[in-house]
Amino acid sequence: MSNLQLAPLSNLPVLPVVVSLLFAVLLILGHGRLRYQRAVGAAGVLAALVADLILFTTVLREGPLVYRAGDWPAPYGILFVADRLNVLLVLVAGVVGAITFWFAVRSLDEARQRAFFYPLFHVQLAGVYGAFLTGDLFNLFVFYEVTLLASFVLLTLGGERFQLQEGLKYVIINTLSSAFFLVGVAILYRTLGTVNMADLAVKVASAPDQGWLLVIAVVFVVVFGLKAAIFPLYFWLPYSYPTAPTAIAGLFAALLSKVGIYSLFRVFTLIFVAQVSVTHHGLFLVLASFTMVLGVLGPVAQMDFKRILAFHIVSQIGYMLMGLGFYTPVALAGGIYHIVHNMVIKTGLFLTAGATEEVTGTSHLERMSGLLRSHPVLAAVFFMSGLSLAGMPPFSGFFSKLALMVGGLQAGGYLVVAISVAVSFLTLFSMIKIWRYVYWGPDRGERRLDARATSPLVWPAAALLLISVGMGLGASFVFDYSYATALELMDPARYVAAVLGPQAAAVLAHAGL
Amino acid sequence: MLPTVLTLPFVAAGLVALFGHRAGSKLASVALAVPLAIFAWLVAQVGALPPGGLVWSHGWIEELGLALSFRLDGWSLLFALLIAGIGTLVLWYSRFYLGPDEDHSKFVLYLLLFMGSMLGVVFAENLLVLYMFWELTSISSFLLIGYWHEREASREGALKALVITVIGGFAMLVGLLLLSLSAGTLSVRELALKASEIQAHPFYPWIVGLILAGAFTKSAQVPFHIWLPSAMEAPTPVSAYLHSATMVKAGLYLVGRLSLVLGGTAAWTYPVVVVGLLTMLVGSYTALRQRDLKALLAYSTVSQLGFIMAALGLGTPGALGAAAFHLFNHATFKGALFLVVGIVDHETGTRDLAKLGGLRRAMPWSAAFMTLSALSLAGVPLLSGFISKELIFTSLVEAGSLMGGLAWLLPGVATVASLLTALYSFVLFHEVFDGQARGTTPRPAREASPALLLSPGLLTAVAVLVGLGPHLVTGSLIDPAASALAGQPVEIHAALWHGVNAPFLMSATALVGALAFYPARHRLRALLERLTTRWTAERAYQAFLNGLMGLAQRVTDRHMTGRLADYLLYILIAFVVLVGGTVLANGGFALRPLDLASPTVVELVLLAAMVAGTLFVVRTRSGLAAIITLGVVGYSVVLLWVHWQAPDLALTQLVVESVSVVLLLLAFVHFPKLERKPVAAGRRRLNLAVAVLSGAMVSWLSIRANGTQLFEPISQYFIENSLPLGGGRNIVNVILVDFRGLDTLGEITVLSIAALGVYMLVGSRIRRTRREAAERQEGEGL
Amino acid sequence: MELLTSLVIGLLVGAGVYLLLQREVLRVVLGTMLISHATNLMLFISGGVKRGGPPIVGRGIPTAGGGLAYTDPLPQALILTAIVIGFASTAFVLVLAYKAIQSRGSDDMEDLRSVEEPHE
Repeated sequence: MSNLQLAPLSNLPVLPVVVSLLFAVLLILGHGRLRYQRAVGAAGVLAALVADLILFTTVLREGPLVYRAGDWPAPYGILFVADRLNVLLVLVAGVVGAITFWFAVRSLDEARQRAFFYPLFHVQLAGVYGAFLTGDLFNLFVFYEVTLLASFVLLTLGGERFQLQEGLKYVIINTLSSAFFLVGVAILYRTLGTVNMADLAVKVASAPDQGWLLVIAVVFVVVFGLKAAIFPLYFWLPYSYPTAPTAIAGLFAALLSKVGIYSLFRVFTLIFVAQVSVTHHGLFLVLASFTMVLGVLGPVAQMDFKRILAFHIVSQIGYMLMGLGFYTPVALAGGIYHIVHNMVIKTGLFLTAGATEEVTGTSHLERMSGLLRSHPVLAAVFFMSGLSLAGMPPFSGFFSKLALMVGGLQAGGYLVVAISVAVSFLTLFSMIKIWRYVYWGPDRGERRLDARATSPLVWPAAALLLISVGMGLGASFVFDYSYATALELMDPARYVAAVLGPQAAAVLAHAGL
Repeated sequence: MLPTVLTLPFVAAGLVALFGHRAGSKLASVALAVPLAIFAWLVAQVGALPPGGLVWSHGWIEELGLALSFRLDGWSLLFALLIAGIGTLVLWYSRFYLGPDEDHSKFVLYLLLFMGSMLGVVFAENLLVLYMFWELTSISSFLLIGYWHEREASREGALKALVITVIGGFAMLVGLLLLSLSAGTLSVRELALKASEIQAHPFYPWIVGLILAGAFTKSAQVPFHIWLPSAMEAPTPVSAYLHSATMVKAGLYLVGRLSLVLGGTAAWTYPVVVVGLLTMLVGSYTALRQRDLKALLAYSTVSQLGFIMAALGLGTPGALGAAAFHLFNHATFKGALFLVVGIVDHETGTRDLAKLGGLRRAMPWSAAFMTLSALSLAGVPLLSGFISKELIFTSLVEAGSLMGGLAWLLPGVATVASLLTALYSFVLFHEVFDGQARGTTPRPAREASPALLLSPGLLTAVAVLVGLGPHLVTGSLIDPAASALAGQPVEIHAALWHGVNAPFLMSATALVGALAFYPARHRLRALLERLTTRWTAERAYQAFLNGLMGLAQRVTDRHMTGRLADYLLYILIAFVVLVGGTVLANGGFALRPLDLASPTVVELVLLAAMVAGTLFVVRTRSGLAAIITLGVVGYSVVLLWVHWQAPDLALTQLVVESVSVVLLLLAFVHFPKLERKPVAAGRRRLNLAVAVLSGAMVSWLSIRANGTQLFEPISQYFIENSLPLGGGRNIVNVILVDFRGLDTLGEITVLSIAALGVYMLVGSRIRRTRREAAERQEGEGL
Repeated sequence: MELLTSLVIGLLVGAGVYLLLQREVLRVVLGTMLISHATNLMLFISGGVKRGGPPIVGRGIPTAGGGLAYTDPLPQALILTAIVIGFASTAFVLVLAYKAIQSRGSDDMEDLRSVEEPHE
């Protein structure tokens, strides 16, 4: 009996990927038919969300789940490993994905909706789910590529001139980053003879040549850093995202760079933790500081709504990396909290920008004015979302940044904390800039939609804001979850034990980790 | 009960946000039920508070030092009464002050949010919770200053207030976290018990500096005071409420609250007293220069805040009591002054002293309220301001007596500032209401409706009553407030007549001096104007903003060039530097002996072909030749796979290579020439260097990896189990479809998506941007 | 042999990078393809270039110990995946490059530089 019960449980980690891919196929089969696309697309998003939810609750109840594809024993076959960290991200990705989908149905032009937008959307989600859940480094590469290819096509969907131009840069840089990934896999495999993450963790912990392993670790910092868009590797992001329609840019903002930062969190808590003082306290904190600062100067300078937001993806990634850099439970918890917070609110802001653009026909700040008077609800949603991004209480951003600051000060990182505070101020400054130009001021400029006609576009963003408010008022729940997750991350033996069994975990324990 | 009281304004704000627009201009008179109810409850607590105050506490996030704990003690009660009481009056006033066409619901919404936040500040027992509400007051103040956001000046004023107070707030947050780190708690009560521990901690100077930065910015102390005059762009009831009576006193609240924790040291007392008195002086002489009544009141507020700040800084029980008393009095008479100025503005259409004059006949009630309140501000006996001012003087004299030869300094500065204060107070009622009616106002003056007069009237009445009978409030309100701060019972000795002593002489000097200088005030003003032509704080603020924007623009334009080659260059340099740096730091580029397989002739030939082909591709100027040669390189790889016993790879690569070449030829058939477009010489050298370094880096990584095989590869398992478990002889195939089937699933997905993308791109026309398309459409429509 | 191959890999990467940094779109695309050859080779030699039979059961080369030696099959499987994925993105890049060139009527990356979206 117990086998019967366990078998479906252990298949759960792969469920979100399978569901999303399945619906992608269904959508491709019925392409061109708008009603079918919307209905099946919605069903797919919801089905994936249900799968995410089941996975999430099961992992909460049962602890880490391991799916062995084809039942091959680790480390030979490919594994999906669901633990507290990635099921949380999977769930949030599902929620944010569903809400973005909702916005897309309402905002995307029909030509694009017909042109394979929906199947691509699902493939994108599948790729992200896979990248979150896989326990195999090369398989991670494969899911990166799934995510990337889908993003290539989505970014250039519609083929506008500016999209093509920026898309080409985006694609070339990401091709280079894939090459770096393969270089990393090659040297890692040659050195350690495996690509399974848990197995890598065990071998790194017991390997003699730590100097060389550090070099490999830094290669992976570059690989994942490129995806996560950290300094000095983020140049592909700020000008490319805004060329896509907002629904797509919002999806990218929620998911793509988060896959990169997730990978950093995963690999640099599980595998490369032997020399934390060099990689984390040294390299990550320096990179995080530069990422925050350079990422926030863009928005201060820019006058384009969506570009300001795109730049802020970069600055906020800096905070997450800062959490990883301090590598204490509180700071890591803050980093995790910040990832979740940011996935929600950054997407919400993009959707707000999209709704605003639908009203005014532009995303240039100086061409807009006075929307507070004509579109008060839209304005209110933006204002609160902006405050949340800047880390103002009582929204979620305040608590994640607070945890990062507390963790940072406890670890003695005064300078980095000071930088993060200054960046918070500049973030607020840039949000207020948008507010002053777009929503305050005399009610003038183009109004393509009146307030009533805009509301269907505002609801998705409002829903995301509501989640942010909920994660602020319910901060103790989110923090407790993040904190427990951080503790789990800092004890890689648990992950290894789930995948390879207790003996392998003992090796880790022996190595003092 | 405390949480209920605290949530009430927020709940009401929520209701106003949802339904407020339906109520129209009556909304304020409905909404004032909220502060009124709170006020009533607070009044019931006067004299009924248990020792240590009313406490409500609940855990929250322990790891971050957050606890939902609130306390109502004497100090909070004093503030809460002002917040709820003046809040009620201001809501009532604004219902008549704002025009019927104005957006009452937003106004009431913001005001309720502010009220709730401000109550939160004074109720909070946990300093992080206090901080949360503190920032909320900044936000609601921002919204209220920008209430008339169509005006450029309102937007700028709102921004300035926000920038300065939020920077201070963030500094304070760091200070609080350091405090938490050094004491292990953020509960005010527990902190007070650990005061000596905290004051001995190495963080202590930082904690004081950062927290005072928050308090000084919020309470508009020099040099951060510049936001307050700009905040006068807000509707006058807002100025009366936030920017005079309550929010700007939050800094005072905090300094008072923490004096038991951080006070009693030179590091605390000197900055607070010096900044306070300096602010008093700067505020008062700047007020005298103003021609706009609201600006005058704004600087007057700055000055009085400085005065109270200095008293709080002294920290003696008597000084704390005096500060609490003056704070109460200032809130009432200054609130009244603002509201009367609002009436004058409302009825005559101007606040410019040059246009006003002789309004007493037309506006007798306003005149009376203004006169009494202004005299209270000036410190004229029988009015409230006189009594509390004398008390502060007493403390200053006492403190001065400890300073030896500089004993005169503190009282002296305070006296000069008081003289200036009295001078502009006289201006307030004399120039506006006395003398001949000049008829230069935009609208003919007439008295406001009784409804509008009610609020300033009540506040003036308080000032008068307290002046006549200070015992009305001292025993019940002021003493408990001061006791809460001092941590011991405090009793202030408020009386109309203490005899001829130093404080009395200071008051007399100020008043007599002001009367003496009054006729010469215009000359004095001109003199002051010549003295202070430069507003350095204001300039610093503008320079800060401009510098920030300029820097951001330069940095961004510099690195976000839109040039793919630049981006790639940064990324590759990062790769080389990061990886190369790590290598150098870890034993350098030394190599281990390799367990090499010796090359065969075939391998050498193929590698040579690749090298030659690659070099040709780089150098050729013919697109066609480059593509074909790339094919040659590819086929060499194919042959290498064959030679290396990898048949599957060879086959796949053969197909891929062939298709790629065909696609390349198709895509670039229109660009057969590959003329080298000019690249600057320096740039060319840089490109070459980065290319060589990247290549060398990868080479080295590969060589190093091949010399560092630390573990046996896992592939033996595949070789052994491919047939028995996987059911296939071709191990690579079994790995692909079985052991690592998920890779293949992903691979197929990638291929399909790429096919889809190619299909769509090929099929699509190149569209102009959406904007262009939309504009064209419009053009056609016309 | 690993040493020689590694040097060639370095050359391929260096040449590829150099091409990526050029102004002509075709050169940039060719650069990505050279780099992808390099990474495939690198993956391969990560399994070692030791002599062995093709990874097909029964066709290994007999060793002194009596077993059969094969080339490492895992990198081959990984490369196979990488080749296909690389091809997919190359194909997309090609078409995208073609379209981008067409949209500007120029194959110069400098013409694809504009930072501001045109407001006409």
